[in-house]
Amino acid sequence: MITPRLPRLGLRARVTVLFSAGALAVSVALASATYGVTRSNLVEEREQSAVRAASFDAAVVGQGLTAEDADLNEVLRAVDTGQGRQPLIRQGGEFFGRGADPNLTTAVPPALLALVEGGQSAAQRVEVDGDVRLVVGVPLPDVAVTYFEVGSLDDLDDTLRSLGTTLLLVSALTTLAGLGLGLWAGQRLLRPLTSVSTAAEAIIAGDLSARLHDTTDPDLQPITVSFNTMVDQLSVRLERDRRFAADVSHELRSPLQTLMAASSVLVRRTGEMEPRTAAAAELIAEEVARFTELVQDLLELARDEAPLTRRPTDVPALLTDLSRDVVRPGGLDLHAAPPSWPLDRKRVERLVSNLLDNARRHGGGATRLAAWSERDRLVIEVDDEGPGVPVEERLLVFDRFGRGRAASARGGSDGTGLGLSLVQQHSVAHGGTVTVIDRPGGGARFRVELPSGSP
Amino acid sequence: MTPAGHDGLVSGLLVVEDDDRIRLSLQMALEDEGYDVTAVATAEQALVVQRATPSETVLVDLMLPGMDGFDCIRELREGSDVAIVVVSARDDTSDIVRALEAGADDYVVKPVAVPELTARLRALRRRSHPVLTPPQTLVFGDLEVAPDHGEVRLDGVDVALTRTEFRLLGELATANGRVLSRAQLLKSVWDYDYGDERVVDVHIGRLRRKVEHDHADPQHVLTVRGFGYKLR
Repeated sequence: MITPRLPRLGLRARVTVLFSAGALAVSVALASATYGVTRSNLVEEREQSAVRAASFDAAVVGQGLTAEDADLNEVLRAVDTGQGRQPLIRQGGEFFGRGADPNLTTAVPPALLALVEGGQSAAQRVEVDGDVRLVVGVPLPDVAVTYFEVGSLDDLDDTLRSLGTTLLLVSALTTLAGLGLGLWAGQRLLRPLTSVSTAAEAIIAGDLSARLHDTTDPDLQPITVSFNTMVDQLSVRLERDRRFAADVSHELRSPLQTLMAASSVLVRRTGEMEPRTAAAAELIAEEVARFTELVQDLLELARDEAPLTRRPTDVPALLTDLSRDVVRPGGLDLHAAPPSWPLDRKRVERLVSNLLDNARRHGGGATRLAAWSERDRLVIEVDDEGPGVPVEERLLVFDRFGRGRAASARGGSDGTGLGLSLVQQHSVAHGGTVTVIDRPGGGARFRVELPSGSP
Repeated sequence: MTPAGHDGLVSGLLVVEDDDRIRLSLQMALEDEGYDVTAVATAEQALVVQRATPSETVLVDLMLPGMDGFDCIRELREGSDVAIVVVSARDDTSDIVRALEAGADDYVVKPVAVPELTARLRALRRRSHPVLTPPQTLVFGDLEVAPDHGEVRLDGVDVALTRTEFRLLGELATANGRVLSRAQLLKSVWDYDYGDERVVDVHIGRLRRKVEHDHADPQHVLTVRGFGYKLR
């Protein structure tokens, strides 16, 4: 079974979540504490004042009942309890109140009743029909009654409820502020990383002058310094490599120029030489030509970091030019070729001429050069009618100096052994491929596929 | 031996090359091809020789002791339409563009085979003697091109073009407003079957500096993105 996994959050998201959660926790804790303390203070105060008022009222009742012709109802009426409190007198096991509210008497809990009847003043909070009430009882042994007052705590409830709402709102706002702060902090925190990645991208794109700005932040200074040092060293090394390659190129090309010009002077005069000397001169000229080709191919392979420059290229015109005198008459098949394709023209020229060259050297000449587009790929095929390439050598032929057995069997004196690896290199530079298969009817078929490179 | 020159004339060729072996071997090989070769080792010598007995074509190496090849090209180009070909072991794009912008007509990278080099020289000579039809003056707004007379006027004032620039303008002018691709221009002006298209781009840039009022906002030599150039 596959357990679904949440996608891992990014640093910024984590910082934001952390800040919001922190703000939420702190604000909830503060709000609960505030609510709790306020509530207990309010209730306590309220109870104390209720008890005080009840004691006072009880004294009034006690005084009223000591009169000769004391009427219980008169006394009850005379007690000024205001709106919030309702008086009850218990005499001889019966309650007497101002109205006929039966709920009022049931509000007095038995435990409290027992306690007060036993001669002790007491107060208790009770809930009646969802309303919280405070019942205060005061024994009046002098007149053989007990006095109760039932007060409503509804207004207190309202106060507490609005306090709770306010605190909840404040918590929510605090959490939101935490979220905002987290977002800001995350961005702040990532800014140095963002500039590192921007610099790295510029360097990848070839701008070796990209550096991080100096910073005085002691936390960031080490990474800034080491990043910049790394790029310094990298560019020094690259520059050294580049200069070395340029020097090698120059040092190889210059003597070859002398050899080429001098051998052409020699070859011009073979008619005046004795046969052995003439043969030797021809050999020298041939080897100079081959060696030159080898050096040029090697330099081309070594200098592959040159970026690809795609331009819309007239494919039929390019292939027609390249196939001139090299492809068997009637072998050029461009009826489905796209009129234009984004290509690095120089590379594709080298690619196609190397394939045609390969066909000439190892396949008795190119019998067909075809091109067409398939979805987003340009396909170029070159056929020859040579011995073909055995299956086990089909990857090998693209290796450097990896000429197949068939080629070696012919003396191996032809070509540089780099032509097909250059074909591969130029195909790969375009994001494409080159493969070799059997041509129906014998021979090899090289197939190059070059994507258009558009996303 | 086949004379390389036009109408059987042997043409003058100045080789500027500091490497003794290359200089000697090139001189021998090109003399074999029928050129009248003068070979010197420095840019300073080349300028003196060219001033005294001007050759029709100069082959210049870029890395020279003292004055370098780029400055040499600039000096040679000053007020002259001599054909200049760079023969250098350097094949950096920046070097090629710089040399062409300094005024070179063509650029070949060492080692170059003698037949290829003479083919380049023949193409240059061909464009030094343009034979264009029909003989007439073509008018493009304030720009007049008379291909057969080798004359170009902007606002009625003669414009001095090098032969390569003139030949390039002539090709565009006789195309009747058609777009010519870089490859077509490379073939018709430089006689390359395929080659470095930057040669065309740099020459178009040089041409614009001369035949446009504002070369950054060309009104005559227009780039058609993805295809090539046309003259309007």
